[in-house]
Amino acid sequence: MRHATVLVLLAAILAVATPGEGAPRPTSGDPTFALSVQQPSAPPPAPLIPEGFEPVGERPPAEQLPAAPFVMAAYAFVWVALLGYLWSIWRRLGAVERELADLTRRIEDAGRRA
Amino acid sequence: MRRAFLPAVVAATVLFAVAPWVVARAPYEQTMGLVQKIFYFHVPSAMMMFVSAVVCGIASAIFLFGRRPRADHVAVAAAELVAVFGIIVLVTGPLWARKAWGVWWQWDARLTSTLVLWMIFMAYLLLRRYGGPGSDRLGAGLALFGMANVPFVYWSVNVWRTLHPKTSVVMTLDPGMRPAFWLSAGAFALLYAALLAARVRLEDGRATVEQLYLALDEHD
Repeated sequence: MRHATVLVLLAAILAVATPGEGAPRPTSGDPTFALSVQQPSAPPPAPLIPEGFEPVGERPPAEQLPAAPFVMAAYAFVWVALLGYLWSIWRRLGAVERELADLTRRIEDAGRRA
Repeated sequence: MRRAFLPAVVAATVLFAVAPWVVARAPYEQTMGLVQKIFYFHVPSAMMMFVSAVVCGIASAIFLFGRRPRADHVAVAAAELVAVFGIIVLVTGPLWARKAWGVWWQWDARLTSTLVLWMIFMAYLLLRRYGGPGSDRLGAGLALFGMANVPFVYWSVNVWRTLHPKTSVVMTLDPGMRPAFWLSAGAFALLYAALLAARVRLEDGRATVEQLYLALDEHD
């Protein structure tokens, strides 16, 4: 009996607290609710500065690296490296030739003295 | 001896005069655009680097097992050319990468293994320069190790996932790009042969100087 009473009371409380489909809803034109219900307003304007990161599909042209300096630098380096190595061999060959000529002369002189 | 220079100078002049013009006329690549034209010097330099490493290894093997002194001269010359063409590859590659990938360098398989190969032959040159007696045989062993690395470097792009283009790029090149590439590759090959000949002549001359010093000491 006591349980039934509790259940009935609970059902009554729930029926009062939960608004049903037929319950009256405040309307914008109803002056009774003018002070307590906020009028739906227009959506806020979009901020001038975005609050988060926004992805883009492609980098803007101003942000892209120009290719020409890299191509020119690469070709210039190739030429500098190859010509520099050629010059290095030329210089070393010249030194070896001079040394050979000097040694040959000294051996001939030594042979004549002997 | 300086006449060994003439083919190298002629080859370099042809390269300078003709190849850039042909490269400029080659079509642009769809995604990379102008920066892709570094390819026409970058890849032939890499090819010559690999060829030179193999030449150095074979010459070192002949020197070690066949005991032929002149093979050692070829090995030293080839090792120096690995260093020269290797530095060209390691500079032109990052210049291309900065534009194409957005970074100067990636520690991926191809780039890292190429750097290691270059360092092996730099170690060979330092060993020959400062190693003293016996450095010729020790260097020959190091060169054999360097030559063994070449297949790993070449196939690294096919085996591992890398940013670097795969080896199939050359064989599947667009017909409009093939003349520029093969002309450039041929010019680099000719230049390599001339440089190798000149450098071997230099080593031969140094060996002759050493023999003459010994002969002079005997006279004295």
